Amino acid sequence: MTAPALAPGTRDDSARAPAAPGGARAALHGRSTGSRVAVAVVLAATLLWTLVPLVWMVLGSFKSQADVTSAVPRLVFAPTFENYRNLFTGANDLTPYLWHSVVAAVVSALLSVVVGTLAGYGLSRSVMRHKDRLSFWIISTRMAPIAAVILPLFLMFRVAGLIDTLPGLVLAYMTFNLPFAIWLMSAFFSEVPPSIEESALVAGCTRWQAFRHVILPLSKAGLVTTFVLCLVFSWNDYAFATVFAGPDSQTLPIAASQLVTQTGIDWGQLTAIGTIVVLPMVVAGLAVRRWLVTGLTLGAVTGE
Amino acid sequence: MTAAEPTARAGRRRGLTFPGLLLTPGVALLAVLSVLPFLALVAMSLSRVRLLGGVRLEWVGLDNWVRVLTDVDMWWSWVRTGAYLVLTLGIEMVLGLAVALALHRVLRGRGILLSLVLLPMFVAPVIVGLLGRYLTDSTFGLYAWFLQQLGWEGDVLGSPGTAFAAVVLMDVWEWTPLITLIALAGLTSVNPSLLEAAALDGAGYWAGLRHVVLPSISGILLVALLIRAMDAVRYYDIISVTTNGGPADATKTIPIRLFENAFRFFDLGYAAAIGLMMLLLTIAIARAFVRLLGTRGIS
Repeated sequence: MTAPALAPGTRDDSARAPAAPGGARAALHGRSTGSRVAVAVVLAATLLWTLVPLVWMVLGSFKSQADVTSAVPRLVFAPTFENYRNLFTGANDLTPYLWHSVVAAVVSALLSVVVGTLAGYGLSRSVMRHKDRLSFWIISTRMAPIAAVILPLFLMFRVAGLIDTLPGLVLAYMTFNLPFAIWLMSAFFSEVPPSIEESALVAGCTRWQAFRHVILPLSKAGLVTTFVLCLVFSWNDYAFATVFAGPDSQTLPIAASQLVTQTGIDWGQLTAIGTIVVLPMVVAGLAVRRWLVTGLTLGAVTGE
Repeated sequence: MTAAEPTARAGRRRGLTFPGLLLTPGVALLAVLSVLPFLALVAMSLSRVRLLGGVRLEWVGLDNWVRVLTDVDMWWSWVRTGAYLVLTLGIEMVLGLAVALALHRVLRGRGILLSLVLLPMFVAPVIVGLLGRYLTDSTFGLYAWFLQQLGWEGDVLGSPGTAFAAVVLMDVWEWTPLITLIALAGLTSVNPSLLEAAALDGAGYWAGLRHVVLPSISGILLVALLIRAMDAVRYYDIISVTTNGGPADATKTIPIRLFENAFRFFDLGYAAAIGLMMLLLTIAIARAFVRLLGTRGIS
């Protein structure tokens, strides 16, 4: 964009760009009708593929038993709140499961962020000989196959009496959230130039004060992103909960999967649980969209 | 470790530096959560694990390993897992890049479009699986109904070929957005003047894509691929709630087999050997990932 004389009107005056079908202008920001149609088709197909299942789930949650399992799909139906009402009343009231999900996800995310922030700052600022090995160990802990972690934890939890307890579930979630938080916060802190805390030290701050009052406020986005992603990972967990959760610590994903095995499948209730599980995570995830790339690539790629 | 740290600068000379001090609790906790389980996993893979009447490990040497390595069914599971990885990752990379290229050309409303496209990533994998079952149910599923209108009758999750395709597509639905997100970040960082230059040279769209765009985002795409690969080895939720390995073992990938051995047959030693093999695989991928970060000068 520094040479406007060479490239007039390539970016912003889309309406007035000379129609040059298939011409030189076509490279990636091309404006030919053909390429516009292609882009529109790709995006329309993508949106259909992406949204139809979600819309169908939300619609299903407001359908009566007959509508949700009608042989011919029904777009027009009399909406009912019956499914949601059934989920929170009667013998299989979901409220305790909702509570377990919230506690396990929030507590493990909070603990991971607090410990991970301290350690991440330490990791980003420390000068030590085998730092790369330490980093590698941390990331490989995060990426370890869930199945390989669950087996030994199952034995250890059995010995320690942590099976079917919320603290057990929180600890289990920290096996993947803590290394994630350490690594990601370290990546966010590395973006903050060390000269900033150096000048704070010169101004008379202690190292702790420089960290607490200067660096931490600069890393708010990183903190929130790390928290949200930890929350999503643990809220959405199924594998750990199937093994470690019992009646006293059952979470929503397990409750959802159990609707399947008990005497047929009540799809109205199932789509309702699905909606309840998905909605908060969508809101939380989109709230940090700007930093999602950084978060989900563990700091390898920075966006926007 | 709170504000009572006025002598921190002096502390630097006393051994543990301030960063080291902050690092310690996290690393110690992580060690408990990962080194101990790892050692336990190794021990389990060399033992017969008894659960009744208190947890006991009975040493059996390499017995579990011999059984894992000589079981033909296990090898088929590895092949199936490989096919699953190649298919899901391949489709996700191609589709994800295509959607990113399309989104990159939208100048107005790109934000809202991207948000919509990203939605599946936040859906719990169990819900993806259950939703997949609902959509493909042969009597009332929406997608099954579409297939019937197109002349295909049958139970999607009931026959081996379509069941495998279905679990692959469910993974594709959930994780293609991640590739789109990462590829789009890469495209945005490509110097626009590079594209202008290519355009002035008379390079067509595909030539520009191949010679200018792809080379400049190849590093980022590789990061996306490796992250997705490690996660694909991790997750097993979708298959577990849709087919749980069936029909006729068509979707019995390694993680499914591990869970089945551990928590249905309670052969935990055998499962531990499988777990260690999976761990080796992910560590190899993670090593490539970290090396890549190193060469890119990040972290």
